[in-house]
Amino acid sequence: MRLERGIISSSQLTFLVAGYVQGSVMVVAITNIITKQYTWLVVLSGLAASIPLAMVYIALARKFPGKDLIQINRIVYGPYLGKLVSALYIWFFCSIAGFMLTYVGEIIKYYMMPETPKYAICILFACICAWTVRNGIEVLARTSVIFVMIIIFVILITFFLLLKDMQLTNFLPFFDLSLKDFIQGTHVMLTLPFSEIVVFLMVMPYVNKGVEAKKSVILGLIIGGVSILIDTVRNTAVLGVTSTIMVSPSIESVRLIDLAEIITRLEMLVITLLLIAMFIKVSVMYYGSVLGIARLFNLRSYRPLVLPIGSIIVSLSILSFTYLAQNVGFATGTGPFFTLTFEFSPVITLLIAKIRKLPK
Amino acid sequence: MAVIFLLTIAFVAIGLFEIPALVRNKHWRELAVFSVFFVLAFILALLQAADVKIPSPVKGMEYLFKDILKLSYY
Repeated sequence: MRLERGIISSSQLTFLVAGYVQGSVMVVAITNIITKQYTWLVVLSGLAASIPLAMVYIALARKFPGKDLIQINRIVYGPYLGKLVSALYIWFFCSIAGFMLTYVGEIIKYYMMPETPKYAICILFACICAWTVRNGIEVLARTSVIFVMIIIFVILITFFLLLKDMQLTNFLPFFDLSLKDFIQGTHVMLTLPFSEIVVFLMVMPYVNKGVEAKKSVILGLIIGGVSILIDTVRNTAVLGVTSTIMVSPSIESVRLIDLAEIITRLEMLVITLLLIAMFIKVSVMYYGSVLGIARLFNLRSYRPLVLPIGSIIVSLSILSFTYLAQNVGFATGTGPFFTLTFEFSPVITLLIAKIRKLPK
Repeated sequence: MAVIFLLTIAFVAIGLFEIPALVRNKHWRELAVFSVFFVLAFILALLQAADVKIPSPVKGMEYLFKDILKLSYY
């Protein structure tokens, strides 16, 4: 029984993963607080560490072709424990979607509309995501191709426009980073932007050629990671250590672009870009949780659940954090451990499946 | 008060949007799951609109990971 009628191609999956990874570019700004001007180093090490985990997810998807995460849990852990694990995963997807929605509200509130209450922005943004999720994964995958093109184009353009403002001395001294900060930064980068692609285990059954999925997921991860890297290098080169105290260093650095007083105030471009990337991320998480609930209760269609779950996600996003500082504290302190639990458990699932010699 | 009124209108609209199709197709199981999440969402939204202090789920996660499992950087 298929819940989702759409089918996406493996190249669309590449762009979807790339857009999804770019959606967490805010988290990189948070990592600046820990690692100062060495964030680029941490981005690289986090990307390198996330590729083996991505391989595990793909191996799991290929071991059970045409099955999503909820069905895999049911096969591997049995009916009762499997339901519990699946319910925890759905909670994880919902809460991450809620946290991302909070970021959207905060960014708009901080940089564009300081007088507007946060919930108005969150509700409007969630409406668009709900509309997309109702239309299925195919629509999202097709839009993501265009969106990722726009994102990469804007990142490259702003990089070249800011070349004259860059000071390479901002990176000095090299490798003066304590081991604890390095590990913490790598952990944050590994868990929050990169390994959250665990939600793609819900999407993987709808990719038309399962064999090529491996290449496209890794390629998407690398495209997303490299664009985050370019972003980080640009911000550090332009702003230096100052970027640690800013809410969004990308916006602050692009604000400095001034080309003969004609091309100025490009920060709106970056805000648009953040919104596009966040839209892909929130939609995929939202889609994963809705599809997961429909699968958990053996429903024939996931569509009726879209609006109630969206409303719950909006409620979660509003009541989770009151200030941006709480959000930052959670993302750097407890958040990495919370997400790592869910991102590492597919490894255990794969091991159990190997030991039990599943699927028979 | 106005917020609660608007909220009720929004949720009634969601109900009118989804329920008739479910009843017409005799999807009773979907209707049951939909109703559970619908009521949950409505209660959550209503409590927030009425300014009731709901404990943040993040506090619970932080308690579990920081105080019980001792897994936190701070």
